[in-house]
Amino acid sequence: MAVMRMGYMHVRVTDLAEAKEHYANTVGLYQTLEQDGRVYYKGWDEWDHHSIVIEEGGVGYVKCGFKCERPEDIADIEAKATVYGYPVERMVAGENPEVGDGIRVTLASGHQVEFYSHMTSYGLEVGTHNPDAFPRHMVGIGAPRLDHALLWVNDVAGIERFFMDCVGMYPTERVVTSLDDDAKTLATWLTLGESNHDIALLEAPENKIHHFAFEMRSWDDILKAADIFAMDDVPIDIGPTRHGITRGTTIYFFDPSGNRNETFAGGYRCFRDRPMVTWTADQLGKAIFYHSRELNERFLTVAT
Amino acid sequence: MPRLTVASDGVVVELREDETILEGLHRHGYAYRTGCRRGGCAICKVDVVSGEVRYTRPVADTVLSDAERQSGVCLSCRAVPVSDTTISLREETLRCVNPLLALYATSH
Ligand code: FES
Ligand SMILES: [Fe+2]
Repeated sequence: MAVMRMGYMHVRVTDLAEAKEHYANTVGLYQTLEQDGRVYYKGWDEWDHHSIVIEEGGVGYVKCGFKCERPEDIADIEAKATVYGYPVERMVAGENPEVGDGIRVTLASGHQVEFYSHMTSYGLEVGTHNPDAFPRHMVGIGAPRLDHALLWVNDVAGIERFFMDCVGMYPTERVVTSLDDDAKTLATWLTLGESNHDIALLEAPENKIHHFAFEMRSWDDILKAADIFAMDDVPIDIGPTRHGITRGTTIYFFDPSGNRNETFAGGYRCFRDRPMVTWTADQLGKAIFYHSRELNERFLTVAT
Repeated sequence: MPRLTVASDGVVVELREDETILEGLHRHGYAYRTGCRRGGCAICKVDVVSGEVRYTRPVADTVLSDAERQSGVCLSCRAVPVSDTTISLREETLRCVNPLLALYATSH
């Protein structure tokens, strides 16, 4: 496997102090570095130096990074992205603290996506020698790891093809305008391995980030997370509920700058030969919010 | 304390000190379309017809531009009226989601 996972998500926040309170004490991430107005975090079940970067000033997407298995994989993506026609820049070790050499690709949507193969290993919170099941003193919801992101893009089909042809992803589910051959793809869930998605794309008038998600271990942990959000006055967008798409259980909520976060648990194991699931746009309510079967007034209208 | 009038709906509420437009309307039982409630998504913009608002927290210019501020647009989840203020909602009406609160607040 060439590209292994989404390794980091980097977003802007309007107020660093409030954002730190949220990501450290509510989401329960571990701060690994604060430097030049940026704070770096990892979840307890992650080993690389960071998976979340917050930067003071503004709101919304800065970039995300995908970790490759070997340096050759980066060269391979560089060659393919160049042929595909997306601008590619080289990035050198240290441009992102603790991250090695890599490339930065600018998608047609303007989103920057980095590919790298080395990040300093910080270690799992439970260690690797006779480890316990989870850290004894978790904070807040104790999010174990970054899972995926959903981007708003104005050309789902073109960007989906980039992630398929140049990055090696495959779609597990899609929302389409109809079941006819000439149907248009409105949204897609793309994966690198056996999870439901590493990145998802939604057709939208603007190029933004809809949300990024933390993987939780169970529905119980999702419910407990909602309790913590009530205690910490975190604005909940929706949930706890289930997605029809991926079957995952979820809460959408907002950080103190208005960036949408998600806690996600479940889903099913995917394989490249598993038949892809298709949803028609008229069933979008059920596809997104399986229980209420209707979209709330924010899902298709709010992003940063 | 500033008095907030929603011209588009004929609703008048008394605000508390440092209360945002959204908090004040929620406290009186009213709702309208909002997103993040944290100043990030711009969906809660309303037009300030008269009066003055200030922001007690930073607001990104990508969410509310200087030109918009000057033309009287405000982010209602973050804007704090400093004087009696009249606003007008855009393409929607206030929904009274807690009639008990609306009644209690107007009769006291
Ligand atoms: S509700 Fe998102 S900016 Fe006010
Ligand atoms: Fe998600």
